[in-house]
Amino acid sequence: MNKENILEVKNLRTSFFTHVGEVKAIRGVSFNLKKGEAIGIVGESGSGKSVTSMSIMKLLQHPGKIIGGDILFKEKSIVNTSEKEMQSIRGNEIAMIFQDPMTSLNPVYTIGNQIKEAITRHQNVNREEAKNKAIEMLKIVGIPSPSDRINQYPHEFSGGMRQRAMIAMALSCEPSLLIADEPTTALDVTIQAQILELMKKLKKEINTSIIMITHDLGVVADVCSRIIVMYGGLIMEEGTTEEIFYNPKHPYTMGLLKSIPRLDLGENQRLVPIEGSPPDLLKPPIGCPFAARCPYAMKICEKNQPPYFETDKNHRSMCWLLHEDAPKVEVDTCVKRGKI
Amino acid sequence: MNKSKDVLLEVRNLKKYFAMKKGFFGGNTQYVKAVDDVSFYIKRGETLGLVGESGCGKSTTGRTLIRLYRPTDGEIIYGGKDISKMDDKELIPYRKKIQMIFQDPYASLNTRMTIGDIIGEALDIHKIATGKEKTEIVHDLLSRVGLSPDHAIRYPHEFSGGQRQRIGIARALAVKPEFIICDEPISALDVSIQAQVVNMLSDLQQELGLTYLFIAHDLSMVRYISDRVGVMYLGKIVEIGESEELYEHPAHPYTQALLSAIPVPDPDIVKNRKRILLEGDVPSPINPPSGCRFRTRCMHAMPKCAEIEPVMKEISSGHYAACYLL
Ligand SMILES: Nc1ncnc2c1ncn2[C@@H]1O[C@H](COP(=O)(O)OP(=O)(O)OP(=O)(O)O)[C@@H](O)[C@H]1O
Ligand SMILES: Nc1ncnc2c1ncn2[C@@H]1O[C@H](COP(=O)(O)OP(=O)(O)OP(=O)(O)O)[C@@H](O)[C@H]1O
Ligand SMILES: [Mg+2]
Ligand SMILES: [Mg+2]
Repeated sequence: MNKENILEVKNLRTSFFTHVGEVKAIRGVSFNLKKGEAIGIVGESGSGKSVTSMSIMKLLQHPGKIIGGDILFKEKSIVNTSEKEMQSIRGNEIAMIFQDPMTSLNPVYTIGNQIKEAITRHQNVNREEAKNKAIEMLKIVGIPSPSDRINQYPHEFSGGMRQRAMIAMALSCEPSLLIADEPTTALDVTIQAQILELMKKLKKEINTSIIMITHDLGVVADVCSRIIVMYGGLIMEEGTTEEIFYNPKHPYTMGLLKSIPRLDLGENQRLVPIEGSPPDLLKPPIGCPFAARCPYAMKICEKNQPPYFETDKNHRSMCWLLHEDAPKVEVDTCVKRGKI
Repeated sequence: MNKSKDVLLEVRNLKKYFAMKKGFFGGNTQYVKAVDDVSFYIKRGETLGLVGESGCGKSTTGRTLIRLYRPTDGEIIYGGKDISKMDDKELIPYRKKIQMIFQDPYASLNTRMTIGDIIGEALDIHKIATGKEKTEIVHDLLSRVGLSPDHAIRYPHEFSGGQRQRIGIARALAVKPEFIICDEPISALDVSIQAQVVNMLSDLQQELGLTYLFIAHDLSMVRYISDRVGVMYLGKIVEIGESEELYEHPAHPYTQALLSAIPVPDPDIVKNRKRILLEGDVPSPINPPSGCRFRTRCMHAMPKCAEIEPVMKEISSGHYAACYLL
């Protein structure tokens, strides 16, 4: 393992064994994350972003199982680590902000008690100090009157306030790896900006590495230096943020970029969605998972899963169009530098 | 505000306060003034967007409109009738006419029911369809929201966040409502499906003459779907107007700040542009500031802003804002 990497995911495969069959949610995913680096994982709903992060955290619920591959955290494989050991890694070294705040908030305890608990579990402080720190964290994530609010229960918080309480909990233990699954979806732009600043600060000051899962390409552009584009349980394209935005190679990435709402769109113009819907992972296609929706699909795309083609040192895409014998297509990227 | 006979819903001076538990030492009960004197109307077939910061009272407004909460004060006039004080029995017909798509796609779906049963349940309750016809409607709804009819026999936990949100949308559509409160219906969705869902919601509106209250914090999407937009701050509406007008000529300093903070999906612009960063902390709806509630974070605040609350003023046809600068 490369010493610079905090995390290496190698050919990860995760499935859910449900009553209707095996849902192959992750079908061979590999990527590395450097210390102090922030990467973004983007992709449509159901592409496997959350399952990837739950696999890394070893938090898959029955009937989910890692069925292949390896996950190295700080040079140590954690695929077969015991639940007890994982518990001390989670929250201490790896913290996660869940897409569903209620995964980490317990409805029967006050918000304050839950944050205090997270703090005292990892830091040697007395009750008074823990309480003050909890109030301070709530204040940092923009919750007004934090000293009154710590006595409230999750259901008394608004959607975005719950999400922020959870962020406060995750960040209060200063993790070396932060996995943030749609951390700001319920938040308005001003508070979102504040939280992204907070994450960037963690990254800079204590060298926290970040995996940012989001469908908001604006958030990725702001925080991440590298982007992974997922679809149908596979990585379709990976590259630097600049490359993905200005020089995408995969038709799926292009489609994603085109469906972004833009303020310069005229009132009656329709948005351009990618037509069709993602594959059913109960019976994933044998070829490229995107072939059925791809405007450039060729015969081979349905039959064979493409390998990765490297178009640059840090830029790879799983697409037959990049094969040297493939017809050249006019690329329509939509995001023009500095114009939106 | 101008009213006409095709107003479907009118809200007058609506208030919803939540009592907070007394602290350990007792003392006076405090209230979270989640919605504090809000008035607006929505015309039939129109979409009103409602935007504002987290915690400003958007969901509470929506939940009070469908009478999940009893209003503390004010009137909710729906189709000419005040529903604000009706009891459960009187509300039955409105439970079908008015539907809500909930913000939290996790909490709002019963985990023990299959997707088909969740969507079909409403058809049973309102005696709309049974048997084969019901199955057909369910399958049709699933395809409409970009899911597959095969999904009907699966359970909510087997779906990703965005997929669950679409199940909620299908459920709301099932009973053919006339008014839908969409509480952040697309924020859990990825961009390409956001576009699909927004297009779908507009098509359905055309087809079925639906009326929407569309709650969101994503200002770009709100502009796109709304005829008019209201901006909320700390329990109050501070500006309301036609969407084009409001986006081109935002009058309230808060609206201006919100517009400047929209994330843009372009790394070059992100690095170079100027945001109007709001100074200071968000005040608390427990002890809101005197006078104008935005004054503590407003860069134009003057002494009189702290004294008397500014009233809504019409700055151009149908465009209202509450600010002393105007
Ligand atoms: N418990 C489960 N049982 C069966 N299938 C599951 C389960 N959890 C997830 N899946 C399936 O795995 C696939 C990937 O889901 P995942 O939650 O990772 O999507 P996602 O990329 O995070 O999407 P979103 O943006 O909507 O959150 C989906 O097809 C989903 O239906
Ligand atoms: N059931 C409740 N009990 C007590 N307080 C509540 C309840 N529901 C909401 N509140 C409070 O009312 C205020 C407004 O909440 P609301 O959910 O309406 O905000 P919102 O604008 O929808 O925010 P978000 O964008 O975060 O969802 C908040 O301060 C919240 O704590
Ligand atoms: Mg997810
Ligand atoms: Mg809300």
